[in-house]
Amino acid sequence: MSVKVEVIEGGVPHNTILIAGVVSTLVCIYLTYLNVVTQTEMFSFFGGLAVVAALVWGSHTIKVLCSYGIGTGVPSAGMIAFGSGVIAMLYATRFGMLAPVVALILAAIIGLVLGWVSNNILNMKIPAMVQALTEMAVVGALTLMGFAALITGTFGFEGLTTGTVTMFGMTLLTHQNSFIGGCLIAVAFLLGAIAIQHPFNACLGPGWTQDRMLMLTAECAFLSMIVAAIMSFALISAGSAIISLVIAIIGWVYTYKEYMALSKRDAHSWLDSKPIPDVEGQ
Amino acid sequence: MSAVAAKPAAGSAMNPGAMAVGIILTLILVGICYVMSPGVGLMALIGVIIGGVLIGFGTHFVPVGGAPAAMGQAPGIATGVAMLATGAGVAGLFGGAWAAETLPATMDPMMQLIIVVCAGAVGGGLMMAITCMMVNFLYVFGMGIPPASGKVANDPITGDSQAEYKSQGTEGHGLPFVSFVGGVIGGTLGGAGGTLIYFELLVLYENALPGLMNVTAAQVMPIAVSAAGMFAVGLFLVNAVLTAYNITGTIEGPHDPKFKRWPRSIVASAVASALCGLVAVLIVMPLPI
Repeated sequence: MSVKVEVIEGGVPHNTILIAGVVSTLVCIYLTYLNVVTQTEMFSFFGGLAVVAALVWGSHTIKVLCSYGIGTGVPSAGMIAFGSGVIAMLYATRFGMLAPVVALILAAIIGLVLGWVSNNILNMKIPAMVQALTEMAVVGALTLMGFAALITGTFGFEGLTTGTVTMFGMTLLTHQNSFIGGCLIAVAFLLGAIAIQHPFNACLGPGWTQDRMLMLTAECAFLSMIVAAIMSFALISAGSAIISLVIAIIGWVYTYKEYMALSKRDAHSWLDSKPIPDVEGQ
Repeated sequence: MSAVAAKPAAGSAMNPGAMAVGIILTLILVGICYVMSPGVGLMALIGVIIGGVLIGFGTHFVPVGGAPAAMGQAPGIATGVAMLATGAGVAGLFGGAWAAETLPATMDPMMQLIIVVCAGAVGGGLMMAITCMMVNFLYVFGMGIPPASGKVANDPITGDSQAEYKSQGTEGHGLPFVSFVGGVIGGTLGGAGGTLIYFELLVLYENALPGLMNVTAAQVMPIAVSAAGMFAVGLFLVNAVLTAYNITGTIEGPHDPKFKRWPRSIVASAVASALCGLVAVLIVMPLPI
């Protein structure tokens, strides 16, 4: 197996991204707690911003890990991140107010063990493996928690398993119309897993630049947030869902434009090709 | 440490010390489960570990070609280990979940388990059989290349010689008979493993969640199914990716020299499944704080 060498040249060091990612994700998830304080659902969109922050951090972790030739493709890294993350996240929701912190700690433990297993039992012997798998499990858990907060406005087990349905003017309690009971978590799972593995897979190579990849991650994350915001119409009030949707669309348009500008900056040359020319009459 | 200094050497060497530690770690995790939740929780954890090991072992049979196979330069199905294992497992899980829904509740639990796991195994095996067949159609009729193995001189099952059909400069191409059989065996084991995880967790949640949430058994069904399904998918992906790390890239099937690495994968899957399974069991236990 050969080693693919892609040393980070310039750009923000990984540890800075790591610390900024943890802090901003946790702060954003906790800001959704304003919902409980103010008795509204207007602050759910902070969950989506947590998703963006976590995914930007996670995609850079994937870059650190996959710069070593692990021989299994970049998508597998995204899959193990969310596979281990969903387990930690589901258990952590039981802890109410402490859920994000418990998710972080538990995911870190799971990731640490998986990293140790890969490096020692499976003999991978990749220096970045343990730290990268630890970070990735945390990213997976916090991303799912962010999606949960965005879609339902809360991150506790009760809130995620209980919903209401209005029938003939009566409001009934139901478990089917909820984040976990309705299996919206499966959609959130794949929205996150695709968004985390795509950017490095698309940007890798000799022309890799950090700002372009991270901008693409933010773009993918806002795209996922648009879908999640539409799903949130089912579980939170329409006004709050519209706030999330508008923020997601604004974020997506901005990051998409920025990403296109960065792509044109990094390209050797580019041609703004027009649609198929009309050859009639020639 | 920089990427330049790294020398990943994932050879076929075993690491007996680490494997011993792994087995001890698994036993410790099972012990924690026995203390926290003897009986139904422990049964579920043991089922999860067996299922995870089945997935890890079964994936070694699947002919994974990766990018070289897409260009006709290596035998196998042209995608990664994680994708194929997940496909087989999820297909099996759907089959098993359907069987679990349709069985009468009065049936003997052991009989239920056997039927559900068999249904999952058939689902996974069928998915891999269809995939292998369509891949061979594409190779033979689309790309115009004969199936030939690069790792063995004669097919271990049919005895057909391979070297005459192998193009120069390639490691073989297409899916020889032994790879096809390996794929079906791998899909069967993976589907059975995934379904075993799902069913064990489903039974646990159906029994434990109503008391925990103060609701009736019928109301809790959506949550039990969804949570068991998500945990099963999560465990499946963890085991599939760990097996992918063990194989490192491509494998032709049971006749490939890389197949001999399976003991490592079994220990790794057991540790990972025990840890994740313990968390999945603890979710229905009263909180320690």
